[in-house]
This record gives sequence, structure tokens and C-alpha cells, in this order.
Amino acid sequence: MLRFLFLIVLLVLGHEQVSANPRYSDPDGCLSCHAYEGLSFIDEQGVLRSATIDSSHYASSLHGSVPCKDCHREVINYPHKVENTEVDCSESCHVEEPSEGVKYTHDPIHKEMDKSVHSGGWYKGLTGGNRLEEIETEQDPSCRRCHSNTLYIPEAQLEKFKEDFDHAETECGNCHQGKAWMGQFGGHILRRLIGRRWNNQENNQMCIDCHGDHEKMRDVKQEDPETLEEHPPSDRFVYSTDTYAKTLHGRLIADDSAYGASCIDCHAPLAWKHDIRSYTDSESASHPDNLPETCGQSDCHGYTKKPGNEGFTLTDMHNLTLVNLADFKQPLEEESLRGSAWFWSIWPLLLFGVIFIVGSFIWWLLYRNTKKIIPIVGGDRFERVMVGRKGKAGRKKAVVKKPAVKRDAKPKSEVKETKAAVKPDSSEPIVEKDKPVMPDKAETDISKVDNDTNNKGA
Amino acid sequence: MKVIENIKTIPKVQKFRYAMIILTSMTLLGPLAFLPQLVGSDDLCGSLCMRRFYLYFPGMTWEDFFVHVNAASIGVMAFSLIMITTLFFGRIWCGYLCPVGGLAELSSRMLNDRWKIEFRSLPQIQIRYGYFGFFLVAMPALGISACSLCNFITIPRLIEAMSGEYRGMMFLVSSVGLVNLGLLLLLGVFASKGRAYCQFMCPIGAADGLVNRLGAKMPFARRIRVAKERCTGCNICARNCMCGAIKMVDRIATVDQVSCMSCHECVDVCDWNALAWTTKPNHKVNEPKRIKKNTEIFPLPDWQAVHFNPVKADAVESAVKTGPAISVLSVFNAMIFLTVISIIIVGSFL
Repeated sequence: MLRFLFLIVLLVLGHEQVSANPRYSDPDGCLSCHAYEGLSFIDEQGVLRSATIDSSHYASSLHGSVPCKDCHREVINYPHKVENTEVDCSESCHVEEPSEGVKYTHDPIHKEMDKSVHSGGWYKGLTGGNRLEEIETEQDPSCRRCHSNTLYIPEAQLEKFKEDFDHAETECGNCHQGKAWMGQFGGHILRRLIGRRWNNQENNQMCIDCHGDHEKMRDVKQEDPETLEEHPPSDRFVYSTDTYAKTLHGRLIADDSAYGASCIDCHAPLAWKHDIRSYTDSESASHPDNLPETCGQSDCHGYTKKPGNEGFTLTDMHNLTLVNLADFKQPLEEESLRGSAWFWSIWPLLLFGVIFIVGSFIWWLLYRNTKKIIPIVGGDRFERVMVGRKGKAGRKKAVVKKPAVKRDAKPKSEVKETKAAVKPDSSEPIVEKDKPVMPDKAETDISKVDNDTNNKGA
Repeated sequence: MKVIENIKTIPKVQKFRYAMIILTSMTLLGPLAFLPQLVGSDDLCGSLCMRRFYLYFPGMTWEDFFVHVNAASIGVMAFSLIMITTLFFGRIWCGYLCPVGGLAELSSRMLNDRWKIEFRSLPQIQIRYGYFGFFLVAMPALGISACSLCNFITIPRLIEAMSGEYRGMMFLVSSVGLVNLGLLLLLGVFASKGRAYCQFMCPIGAADGLVNRLGAKMPFARRIRVAKERCTGCNICARNCMCGAIKMVDRIATVDQVSCMSCHECVDVCDWNALAWTTKPNHKVNEPKRIKKNTEIFPLPDWQAVHFNPVKADAVESAVKTGPAISVLSVFNAMIFLTVISIIIVGSFL
């Protein structure tokens, strides 16, 4: 049983002060206690919590005209218990959707969240009691873990907000007249319009805050979908953010490009973004059967839905071979070493290496007097196909004293001039054995360039 | 010092080329990766990727294509720049700037020739465009990542690994890294002249080669051109050509413009000035420049970039039977046939 220490003062002193505000409404008289400064209690964690409502702040807030009991519905008696103060946002709300006339509720989100992998968290009932310090030990996140609301208007957008707020009088004020409306909703709507929307990088950072912590992720319990047994998480799960960062998606987002896919783009592609499920779940967006639909969202890989692209979705976006990159020790452990590509490839490599070394030695024995160096593999074919020589038969005899490739500058200039002067008609077939272009000079020079006379062919 | 003497014998243009490759390696690859860091990347992947945006996925629409283009925006710009320079000057990127092919080439050139595998005599156009078609159409459909055989990941990671960076070492331990390292050794370091990957598997090179061949007939295009009447058939250019683009057809050097990288080495080694990196000559080649004492004098060379099939009868008659001359049709044959065959083979494995 919870024990609470209430510091209650029964005198109501702030009543007149608050009622000066025209928007004040307290039909249930909650503020008769809660307006008192210093009203606080110690909760089950031993944290001193303030229960004071600054009535002027409250009155000027978005909910200023909403009576307390519209949200805190469980509070019936007085004094009330702390459990009863929790607000269930999945119930219908005081706000009416203007287009539909239906009372607003978070119920669809609640239901969606219920099916997701994060359903174990303290989001139950979407209570206002989701406080960060309380979920530190929890495996699953609360609402506020992701929907952080620390800054009402972020600093970066403050200038723009002020500017827009100045114009709201003329723009929105045409229809929505009256200070009450502007004061109450103007800021709220503008904030939505300016868009406190996270970009993909910030979205990912939100996921990485938890999933990037390997130690934390190792403590997560995963449930087998068939046997319902809990088991420690796979490496694929623990290193999911590292492997993601290696993919093109991750890199593009890290480069701040608009064309990368963020975590929730693939894991919760539907409108609400809460439907994150395990890939083993057949309704999950990351289930192999649903991947064509997921990858083929608008603006992404639209062709995946078409026949012939079955292979596209086989691309592993959390490739475990890249997990080795994150953990240096793993490939060096004996067990994983035996299964590694290195281990298996070392045998053929060793074989080739031995052949290579022995072959090099034999080659040296056989051809150590040969100055003309020809590659072992493919050398003959090159001689035959590209150069037009006979190849092997000639090479064995080709024991020469000079290097085969010699750049002789002397005859070059001489020959060039004379040769250029005696140009035959280019439409003729160019080389004919009977009429060499340069009968004397060319012949002698060829023999100088390669002394390999056996191989001349023609 | 023999090494210094050897270095001195390197032709001037080649020294410049090696220097350019080293320069681009230092600026484009880790650990500095100066140029990629200007656009917020530390390797050549992601938005710098030049090898992915033209993949065809079955049923792909133009919108999807534009998504791919936008995702790799800088790579697309670089790719189009490469294609434009190729049209005018030949494959300058491949030969002079590409750090990936260039590093493999330089490391291969440091090894003795007898330890190498000679890939240059293989039918490279057929293999290259067969793989290109497979890369474009079949690999996406089969779900094989285009990155799995890409050396644009491997070389930067290898450099990172050598500079002691964690990510590079870990990449080489992974299976993709292992396969790529094998490819680098087999088709790079232990290949003769080190350009076998460029010859067979580089998709940028394949597209570049087509542009190179397309522009070869245009008069403004600088290409490696042969003056047939000057060629003595000494074959030193064919031996030195790093991409196997020169073939002796009837003992005349014949340049395959689909494969030629305009690296200029054949020009440097030719003792007869029979090759040049030049535009189409202005003069009329069939008319003599002057007639002196009833002798027609043709002092100016006829620089030809594209060679037609020589008279077949002569080829058969000559004692050495050479391979067929280069034909562009083989590009399309290879793309169709080899792609279909490889789809069947790989599809049956999966």
C-alpha cells in the first residue's frame, strides 16, 4: 500500500486572486486546495512532488478553460487517492474534431501501441503519470520517452514563431476574433503549423538513444512468437543501429539527405508511426511478406511491388556480417573464427600460395637465362592473340643477351623522316609481305627491337 | 641504383600520369579523404556513388530513377562530368585520375611480370559488357547488392585499414570485404599491368568506353590514333598497352576505342611516331601534299582512330593467324547473351 504524506492547509487564501482571471473555471473546487503554494507529497520512490497548481499559469494555458474533472475523471471523493488522479487519454476528450463533430481521443494510438513490440511500457492508459525517472528501469518506453515536450517552442523556432504570432492577429483574426481565442489557441495552432516535426536524423537519434546502447539492449528480453519463451536478444537486435548506419539508408540520413529511410520509415510506415512490431509478426511492416509494400511506399522504391523484383527485398538492411565491425573481439574468438570466411578461404589460399612459391622457383630454374619476361598465366595466349606470335615454342629458344624491349633513340629520328616521306595510299591494304613499307631500314630495325628472330612469324 | 635508373626510363607523360594517380589517391581516399569530406562523406559511397543510380529494377518508373539520381546526386554529377570529358579528350578519368584502378595498377607495376596473370588477351569487350548488362539488370532483379563486387568500397577501406583505422580493418574481415580483396589481388595486383578489373568489371569504365567509341569518329575528339603507314608492326605498343586495347591485326597496331584509356603509353614507347593522342587531321589524306618530279609526296600522317576490318584473305594467307578485328556489335551481343546466360546460372543457384 502506498503511503503518502500530505501537507494540507485548509485555508483557501488564493481564491480571490485567481478569480480575477476571466477564463478561470473551477466548478469542482479543486483549486481550493491545489492553489496552495507548497502543497506537495512524497511518492513511492521517495521523491518530493509538488501538487500545487499555479492557477494563473493554468488559466493562461491551453487547458485554461477546461475544468479539472474533465480529465481527472476518477477523482470523485474528497480527499482523493493518488491512483485516481491518473488521466486516461485513451478515453474521449473534451475537444471536438470540428470536421467530424466527434470527441477527440487517443484511443486508436492506444490500440496501435498495444500491438507493437513496445507494448510493455508504462504507456498503459496513456496516463499523465509517465515520468521519465520512473521508466528508467523499464524495458519499454513510455509515451514521453519519444514525445519529449521539454521545450514548448524550441529555441530554434522561436524567432519564426514570434514573427508568425505577430501576424496571427491579421491573418487568423479575420475569422477568429476575440482575445480569448487568440490567447488560448493561437499559440497552439501556430506551433503545429510551424511544425515541431523532427527530421529523419532526429527521428533516428530518438531510436538510437535506447537501441544504440549495447549494454542496455543486451538486457532486453525477447519473446519467442511460437513458444512464448523469453530469450536473450540476438546480436542482430543488439547491433541493429550499427548495422543500419552502414547501409545506404543510414549514410544518407547521416549526410542529412532527404532521400534516406529512417528507422520508423520502414518499421512503422503507416500513418500513426506507433505500429512497430517484430519482423516475425506476420502483420509487421518488416515481415518478409510485407517488405514489397513497405519498400514500395510512395517516394521510395515504387517498383518493388511489381513482379520480377522479388530479389530486391532480400537485401539485408541489418547485415550481421557488418556486426563484426562493431565488436572487434567477436571474429577473433575461436568459435566464430572457425565459421568465418577467412578460416575457410585460408586453405585454398594456402594451396595457391604453395603452388605460387614452388612454381616461381621452378620457373626460375627453367627460364633463368631468358631475359624476356612473360607472365606465367596467359602469357602465351597474349603473344598469340594480341601480338600475333607463336608463343611457347619460340620462347624456349629465345635466349638473348639484350633486353627485348629497348628504346633505341638513334635510328628513330632518321627513320621517321624518310618513312613519312614515302607514304603509300592509305586506301590500299596496308601491310603486304611483298612490298614492305620500309624495305631496308624497317627490317633492320625490327630485328634490333626484338632479337627474337625465331618468332617473327611472317 | 637500379631502381632509380628504372624510374628514369619511364616516359615523361607516364611520370605525370603516375603522379596524378598518387595525387587523386591522396585527395579522394582515406585517411585524409579531403575531397569527399567537402561533401560530408569519408569514402566514395553514399551520395558520391557513381555505380548505382543507373541500375534497372523491373517495373521501375522515371520517378524511381529520379529518386536514385537524387540519392547519389554528387556521384551523378561526377559521372556526367567524366562522360563529357571522355567525349572530348578520351578516358582521362580512367587513365589519369581514377584512384581505384590507378592504385591497383601502380602496385601491379611494382611487381615482376613473371608473377602476374595475363588477362589482356581475353575477349574483354564481351566480358565487360556481358557483366555490365548483368550488373544493370540481373543483379537488381536477383537481389544481389551492387556493392558486393565493387572496388570503390574496397580500395578506400584497404587504405583505411593500412592507416590503422578500425572500420577499414573490420571491412576486410567481413565476407564482402574478403571477396573484394580477392578480386583486387587477382584482377589488380597480380594482373599484368593491373587493369583487369577496369577491363572486365568496372561499370563506369563500361559506360565510359561506349562514349569513347561514340566520339572516336568525331573530328574534334582527341583519341589515340594510329597512322597505319608508319606502323612497322614491332608490337611494342601492344605489349605496353595496360588495358589490352591494342591488337596487332595483320601486323598493324589496331586500337580498340571501346577499351582504350588514352593513357598515352603507346605513344611514348612507339619509336616510329605511328601513334598519337590527337584530333582528326585537317588535311586531305588522299591527296598528295605536293608533286615533285612526278612523284606524289605524302608527308603528313593519316591519324585514324577507328579501324575497319582488313581484307580477310590477306589475314588468312599470312603465316600468323590473328584474332578478328574489333567490332562494336560484339558489345550488344555480349550484353544480351551473357546477361541472359548469367541470369539463368545465378538464378538457379539462388
